Amino acid sequence: MISLRHITKCFRDGEREVVVLRDLDLDVAAGAFTAVVGPSGSGKSTLLYVAGGLDADYEGEAVVAGRDLRALSARERAAFRNVSVGFVFQSFNLLPALPAVENTMLPGLFAPPGVPAPSIGQLRIRAMEALDRVGLADKASRLPAHLSGGERQRVAIARALLSRPAVLLADEPTGNLDAVSGEAVIQLFSAMVRDGVTVLVVTHEERVSAAAGRVLHLEEGRLR
Amino acid sequence: MRLASLVHLASLNLRSDRRGTILNTAAACVGAAALVFFVALGMGVGQAARLLFPGDARLIEVVPGAVSLGAALGGGALDDGAMERLRELPGVQGAWRRLSLRVPIAASRAPEGVRMNWPPGFTVQVPVVGVDAGLVASDLQPGRRFDDPPAGEPIPVLASRRLLEVYNKTIAPAWNLRRLPAGIDLVGLQIPVQVGFSIIPLKTEEKVYDARLALAGLSDRVPLYSLAVPVETVRRLHREYGKSDAGYSSVVLELARPDDVPSAAAAVRRMGFAVDEGERAIAERVGLAITVVAGALALLALLMTALAALAIAQSLSASVRARTRDIAILQSLGATAGDVRALVLAEAALVGLAGGVLGVLIAWLAARGVDAAALRFLPDFPFRPTTFFQFPPWLFALGVGVSASAALLGALAPAALAARIDPARAIS
Repeated sequence: MISLRHITKCFRDGEREVVVLRDLDLDVAAGAFTAVVGPSGSGKSTLLYVAGGLDADYEGEAVVAGRDLRALSARERAAFRNVSVGFVFQSFNLLPALPAVENTMLPGLFAPPGVPAPSIGQLRIRAMEALDRVGLADKASRLPAHLSGGERQRVAIARALLSRPAVLLADEPTGNLDAVSGEAVIQLFSAMVRDGVTVLVVTHEERVSAAAGRVLHLEEGRLR
Repeated sequence: MRLASLVHLASLNLRSDRRGTILNTAAACVGAAALVFFVALGMGVGQAARLLFPGDARLIEVVPGAVSLGAALGGGALDDGAMERLRELPGVQGAWRRLSLRVPIAASRAPEGVRMNWPPGFTVQVPVVGVDAGLVASDLQPGRRFDDPPAGEPIPVLASRRLLEVYNKTIAPAWNLRRLPAGIDLVGLQIPVQVGFSIIPLKTEEKVYDARLALAGLSDRVPLYSLAVPVETVRRLHREYGKSDAGYSSVVLELARPDDVPSAAAAVRRMGFAVDEGERAIAERVGLAITVVAGALALLALLMTALAALAIAQSLSASVRARTRDIAILQSLGATAGDVRALVLAEAALVGLAGGVLGVLIAWLAARGVDAAALRFLPDFPFRPTTFFQFPPWLFALGVGVSASAALLGALAPAALAARIDPARAIS
């Protein structure tokens, strides 16, 4: 489902070039729950952005959900992000001015050409179903500021699930959560894996990696 | 991105930034309101001026030259020969004579057929000019004739359309006379007159007799303070009283197009005659002044609209910078650069449309307020319009369209800025 080959990613820091990912290879089978662990600044997030088509400035090959990301145009990459992958971030990345249900509806507003675009009403129904799956249907009209950290992350997961993606990419999903909320998120991921979703999580938390079927260590830009 | 999704998301964004939305809408609103108000005012005042000075841009009035070198150079009297030569000038469609009556006519009794409190002993000298029927044919009421009548029959006359307004608004109040009904109701009334009588000492002719003038219509082609009779009637009266007809007072030329006027006027002057600019020149000058003032005000309004566009541009740029992370989140969810650009433009368009609709409404209400104030505080002068504004449907569309266009123009740079956001960098 995820196949990364010889991925090298560099950043320029003034005159200095910093290599974040160095000739990295990664294979994740369909329906697997994989965790990538590593210290802060080791390039875990960068790895996710490459796999999710957010970052196109790298060397190597990336094939995710059957799409060769290097071959995609910017517009096709956007469609790929909309249809094939879902993102969950450490800081939730909800739009603060929108209620939970509107945040959850967002991916449906950007349905690419060729994908049946639901009406706003249909989209709202689907968003409510997604919120119901994460146990937040009763808080659909609340703004993110009026939700706890755990609830915000569950809204973010509901949003990631809206387009029923094949791959879920999570960046430190429990990093800002207490133990109970973190556990709830991990259980949601496990449930998604049972439904056939491929989950790739980058984390430095033991409790997340313990739930994953496979744990990889990112050090000096390579996976071990 | 579908239009419904675009509008939905743009509306949500605008609602989430109420203060910015209100300020931007207000800026667009002020520009649209000023533009619509001033254009409507210019058109309304122009219309009022056209009522006051109904000059036909295709007519020129030829009069004998002030200094004439005689018929040898083609000038001299405006006689039938001159008429023929004028008729042959390029662009001339018609030539009609005007001949001032040199026999005094006075009215000392109220017109018949209309209720009027004519003051006892009140006599009005009636200036009369003879005109060709062709000049006023379109203003005659159906069934009315305009030719020299048999002896004892009323003489058909045409009055200036404006004379009635001037009488009702100035003469009647000043002399405490009853006001006359509007236009068409007056046609057919008869005015008893004394031919040969003058209120000026020693100007009364030896022969004075009673006659009647019958109003056959109202016309803008009759001089304001004269009554027009058939030119044949004037010539008959001149013969009766032994007055010589050395030539016509003037000849009115009707040209095919207003653009023909300058060349025709020049040709007339080369023939040794003069062109009486008179009322036509006043109408042109008034029209030009109104156009210039209205144009300047509309330009000022456009400048205000441009300033509104700049304000919107600045505000949206700040908003885009503040929302960099939000925009990156949308990109992570599948928004293309085009979607992001369209979103910013849609927000601006909604602000522009709302501002435009509000502005048009405010302009219309302000115009109604000005009209109400004018009705209350301005004296009832002749040709005072019931409204100083004109609001054709296209003006509403113009106000909304200009406002939306200005907002869109202002949003171009912020939209481009938003489309350039790198989602990976902005999110991390």
